[in-house]
Amino acid sequence: MSGSLSYFGAGRHVSNLEVVSRAAGVGGLGLLAVIVALNNVIARAPAGATYIAKRLLPPGSDAVMGSDALGRDIMSETVHALAVSFSSAAVSTAIAIFIGALAGFAAVRLPLRMGAAVRVISGILRMIPTLFLAVVLVALSSREFFAISVGLAICPEVFNAGFDRASSLARSRHAMYARASGIPGLTLLRRDLVYELRMNIVNVTGRALASSATILATISFFGFGAIPPHRDLGLLIAEAQTSYLSNWWCALFPALALVVLVLCARLAATDDSGQPS
Amino acid sequence: MSDAAALLRVRGFALKRSGDAKAEVEDLSFAIQARETLILLGDAGAGASAVMRFLAQVPDPGATLGGTIQIRDQPEQPLGKSRLDLRTAYLPGPHANILNPHESVVSQLALVIARKTHQPKASAAAELDLALQRLPGGPSLDALDQPPTRVAPEALAAGLLAAAMSQTPDLLLADDPLGQLSPAHARAFASALKAEQQRLGFAILYAALRADVARLLGGNLIVLRSGRLIEEGPVSRLATAQSHSYTQALFRASLPGDGLASVRAATRGEPLLRVQGVHLKLPGKVKDREKITFELRRGASLGLIGEIGSGRRSLTRALLGMEPLAAGRIVFDQVDIGVLSPAMMARLRRRVSFITGDDDALDPRMTIFDTVSEPLRAHLAMPRDSIAHNRDAALKRVGLAALPGSRTVASLAPFDRRRLQIARAIVSQPLLAVIDEPLHGLDAFAQSVVRDLLRNFRSNEGAAILFITSDFGLARAFCEDGLVFKDSRIVERGTMASLLRAPQDPHTRKLLEAVAALPVQSGTDIKPVAEDPVSSTQPPGG
Repeated sequence: MSGSLSYFGAGRHVSNLEVVSRAAGVGGLGLLAVIVALNNVIARAPAGATYIAKRLLPPGSDAVMGSDALGRDIMSETVHALAVSFSSAAVSTAIAIFIGALAGFAAVRLPLRMGAAVRVISGILRMIPTLFLAVVLVALSSREFFAISVGLAICPEVFNAGFDRASSLARSRHAMYARASGIPGLTLLRRDLVYELRMNIVNVTGRALASSATILATISFFGFGAIPPHRDLGLLIAEAQTSYLSNWWCALFPALALVVLVLCARLAATDDSGQPS
Repeated sequence: MSDAAALLRVRGFALKRSGDAKAEVEDLSFAIQARETLILLGDAGAGASAVMRFLAQVPDPGATLGGTIQIRDQPEQPLGKSRLDLRTAYLPGPHANILNPHESVVSQLALVIARKTHQPKASAAAELDLALQRLPGGPSLDALDQPPTRVAPEALAAGLLAAAMSQTPDLLLADDPLGQLSPAHARAFASALKAEQQRLGFAILYAALRADVARLLGGNLIVLRSGRLIEEGPVSRLATAQSHSYTQALFRASLPGDGLASVRAATRGEPLLRVQGVHLKLPGKVKDREKITFELRRGASLGLIGEIGSGRRSLTRALLGMEPLAAGRIVFDQVDIGVLSPAMMARLRRRVSFITGDDDALDPRMTIFDTVSEPLRAHLAMPRDSIAHNRDAALKRVGLAALPGSRTVASLAPFDRRRLQIARAIVSQPLLAVIDEPLHGLDAFAQSVVRDLLRNFRSNEGAAILFITSDFGLARAFCEDGLVFKDSRIVERGTMASLLRAPQDPHTRKLLEAVAALPVQSGTDIKPVAEDPVSSTQPPGG
């Protein structure tokens, strides 16, 4: 199955399992959003607060998820890092959907040569691994704009999905009848964007959010992403890499938070068996 | 229309817009006396609105004016050289969309009165209140103290009339306010207007699309067509004895029906579609393919009869510029489509609607409301409430008004989808409707309902119809003339009556035999339209 169908796949049958999965995913993302919004209330300590007397405490009554080498409370740090990761991923997702989907749907309506050129450029970009493209874009811009760079790196993926879906819609009989009765291309573009995004917004957002969160965490892990003191989950995991075995809790809880975020986003986008009916 | 003691006399009025090949109005002369009503009657683009715009002193930088104007006893002046020394008031219809949709009607009307009569806004509002009280059955000032979208059209029309009366004009420029009201309200409005005219002594210059407005208002009438005066005289005479066929058609169509219907009726018989020596680009069989030539007149219906693959749909696509031609020429609405750019062709296709037996003809994602509203939103800059009004009226006509408008097309039964297509065609007000096997896949009851709706569509909308079918029974019911297709060529042509009575080609006979219960000798269900005596299948001359 192509990746594009999993972004925009209208009118297919959805099983009960998928409904439950999607509800769990959306519910989980909602819960994470609440945690992110209330991170300063939920976290026991401010972001980056060090307590030298409480260094490297394992999970217990003093620190629920333990503390790191500088005495930072891992639970508080994980909540703050989750807020940074979630916000950055939301920005990347918004950029990827807005630019990628709009360009993908619009490219079908462009004059033949221009549309083909856009499609070729997007195809080339699509062949470059998204992670590598994100790193290149961060390198070409600034680490301050890493969320935007990641969003742009995901754009070709969403663009291709949008383009494929828009192409099949443009060949549909209802589009042919609409053109035959003089409905302008812009109206058809608006129609496609509105209905496709309305029908697939959860799926598209979920998939883009999962991709964004993973790539953002990865580039932060490699040191190209979040800039301290605003640490995200990838940076937390990276900072704990010297003591994975001895102080396992320093990396485990941020990693679990990342897994939960990506899992919820993927469950919300349950459409992997998507075959148009 | 005597020139003696005229309030306003215009001679040789001409208006040409830069870039236009043809003048919008040419050599129009008229005179209006005090207390007189002069009606300029004609379809959209006939020139009446250009005259109104000039007299309302609406700036029109791209226009070149010609002719002279004389107001009362003042010396005659060239048009457009100086401001008119005449108190005019402009009276649009309630759907003219000239008011700010977010502000109170009273506030906006009071401001207009205040500016025109040089008085404070508060006293202008008091004047408006008095004028409203004088109107029989007029709304209260409070009823109008809300945005125009929340005011009923009748109340808004009364408010606009009261505002115009408050300006105590010498000349009222009425831009068809009656044409946008229901017949009962139009009668009441006309009575109120005439009573105010008697009281205040102003003259009325009325731009009308429909001749029944002239019957209501009386006075003198000038019939305009394409910017030229066609006929003039008192309404009392022209309503009963018209000398020009255009005037005759306008008056004949002025009984129930809308303005568009009258225009459509007036132009019936003129060619809408000319197909001359067309060769379709189809694979194979080039040698024995003959050139296709026929003509479809406005308001007429032509059956393209044949089996699947006989070339009817390819021809239809070619007619709409969606398929290339190997040879020949197609003229649609007086435009040779071969010279049009894709964008221009798309604009021309706005006047075409489809009703097909194809259940995928409508976008399954769209809601009922969106499906019907889309042509109005895409093609016309109509206010939202007008779109909703037209949409609801069309849905009511096809019997879908009871369904929730938010239901998607995908959730509808084929019967409902078929009716939705008809509703969409109704709001599109097409010049040409392509009806393609409309009963395909429907049960007997649904077929009967759709047949009735199509009959209703044909008789009310006045669109020319290309009816694609393999069923002679259907063609007999809906078409005046028919072309029988086989292997991308026309094997027989003629009126439906002649095709049924005496088919010449074996293929036609075979198709006729397929309709087992068809009484071959009988005439058509729908009587040929009287005003369209010319056969639509006659090859055009030359």
